[in-house]
Amino acid sequence: MGDPLTRVEFTHLPKVLYPEAGITKLEVIKYFIRIAPRMLPLLAGRPIVLTRYPDGAGAPGFYEKDAPMGTPDWVETYPHHSETADRMIRYIVCNNLDTLLWLANLDTLEIHVMFSTTRSYTAPDLLFIDLDPEPPATTADAAAEALLVRDRLASQRIRISVKTSGKRGLHLVTPLVHGLSFQEVRGFIHDMSRNLAREHALIASEAPGPANPGKVFVDYAMNGAGKTMVAPYSPRATPRATVSTPLSWEEVGKGIKPGDFHIQSVPAREEDPWKDLLRHPQKLPAGRGEG
Amino acid sequence: MSEEKKSPRRPIWSGTISIGLVNVPVKVYPMTRDTSVSFRLLHRKDGQPLRYERVCTRDGKVVPWEETVKGFEVRKNEFIVLEKEELRAALPESDRRIRIDTFVHYLSLDPVFFENSFALVPDGTPDAYSLLLTVCEELGEAGVGRFTLRTKEYPAVVHAYHGALILTTLRYANEVMDPSAFEELKALSAPGPKQLDLAKRIITELSGDFDISAYQDTYHERVLALIEKKRAGETIRVEKPKAAEVKELMVALEETVAKLGKQ
Repeated sequence: MGDPLTRVEFTHLPKVLYPEAGITKLEVIKYFIRIAPRMLPLLAGRPIVLTRYPDGAGAPGFYEKDAPMGTPDWVETYPHHSETADRMIRYIVCNNLDTLLWLANLDTLEIHVMFSTTRSYTAPDLLFIDLDPEPPATTADAAAEALLVRDRLASQRIRISVKTSGKRGLHLVTPLVHGLSFQEVRGFIHDMSRNLAREHALIASEAPGPANPGKVFVDYAMNGAGKTMVAPYSPRATPRATVSTPLSWEEVGKGIKPGDFHIQSVPAREEDPWKDLLRHPQKLPAGRGEG
Repeated sequence: MSEEKKSPRRPIWSGTISIGLVNVPVKVYPMTRDTSVSFRLLHRKDGQPLRYERVCTRDGKVVPWEETVKGFEVRKNEFIVLEKEELRAALPESDRRIRIDTFVHYLSLDPVFFENSFALVPDGTPDAYSLLLTVCEELGEAGVGRFTLRTKEYPAVVHAYHGALILTTLRYANEVMDPSAFEELKALSAPGPKQLDLAKRIITELSGDFDISAYQDTYHERVLALIEKKRAGETIRVEKPKAAEVKELMVALEETVAKLGKQ
């Protein structure tokens, strides 16, 4: 009676999803299967947004916020009124292996997670800093900056973890204790980045993009209700099938190439640097405001 | 599938053909059968037979037989409930008679009214049966009357066929539409005499004797041949073997499911 291992019926497995790397849907699903034990704890309880690529990463994909028609009844959803769309959106919540495999079978190449959970949509439980190097700045510049941010936070007794974005940038993430607002989180990061920018020419604290060529922008603005980051261990729709990969600070110190972390290499990594990430929620110093 | 030449074992009805004061005791046997191949519906993925269930249109739950009752829809979604006993009381009384009202020439009966044929076999002394059969054969006449089978009273005709009396149930007049109602038939023009002559000649050339055995259900035969082939070789699998790719995923899944179980 069916397959006891999963409720998902896999389809179109030989379809090529990464034409340049020659990676099929079969291999993508296999990646999700192998990475699931590391990925699922960081997805659980969070509304997610998908980017699906039915014609592969070489063709345009589409965002999917709302659970699509035909979503099985065992997939958990979180209905929430979206002000921008002015309608109810049933966000998908990926709490188990079957849901992850169902997403994979829908040609989902990117999973984006929110910084709050379904229990308290408007209150953050994750702090997120996006370090986006503006050319000619490189990943190495982002890494140098990440180390500066780490040290600055360490001096405030705040521990932070790092992952590749899967593209050029790096993402810094740490869990937060309950009771903070998104506004407080944004204010805290902004203050810190302004201080860092005064001391280090590399860092831009205000404007992203071409306004600051050669700099690495510390993006705090994503810390908001309904905003998302690419989930740890989510693949990206890049030619090389890169993965947003959790790293150890030693790796970042030694120098990394984001292209080394892709769906064929990441499952073989021995350590999971983010294994206990959620176990140590951090406090932020009190008395910070946005501005 | 061998041809059944034996007579069926049990009559479905017994009683008398009554013509005025004459009674001919008969047993009624079915004589037609449906040869279409019957299939069961299976679940494609694991070959398990499916069953039908009565599901409540409101809550989608399965309703057991004992909780059901018959309803007649008087208006959309408005029903009159009829209990079993009430329906039973309305059943036509089967008085065990095939009442013949009149005799007509067999060829004056139009096949559009024919529904189903049954073989009549003498029940007890065959004398009266033999007499009726012979008269029908010699005169080409058929008796028309009424006959109650189970819950329905039918118009019926009794006629001779292959050395037996046959009862054929008929449809009621209101069960057969009048084709002259079709618009397309109202404006038919009369054919010209030359065309008519030609058509008549063609038809005369094509005319022959009626031989039903010349017609075969070729679809039925092909399906049976297909079944035989499958039975001999690739028998029906209970579980569809998975594609190699899916197997590969299942191997990986086994590891992950085990890991997640330990977490």
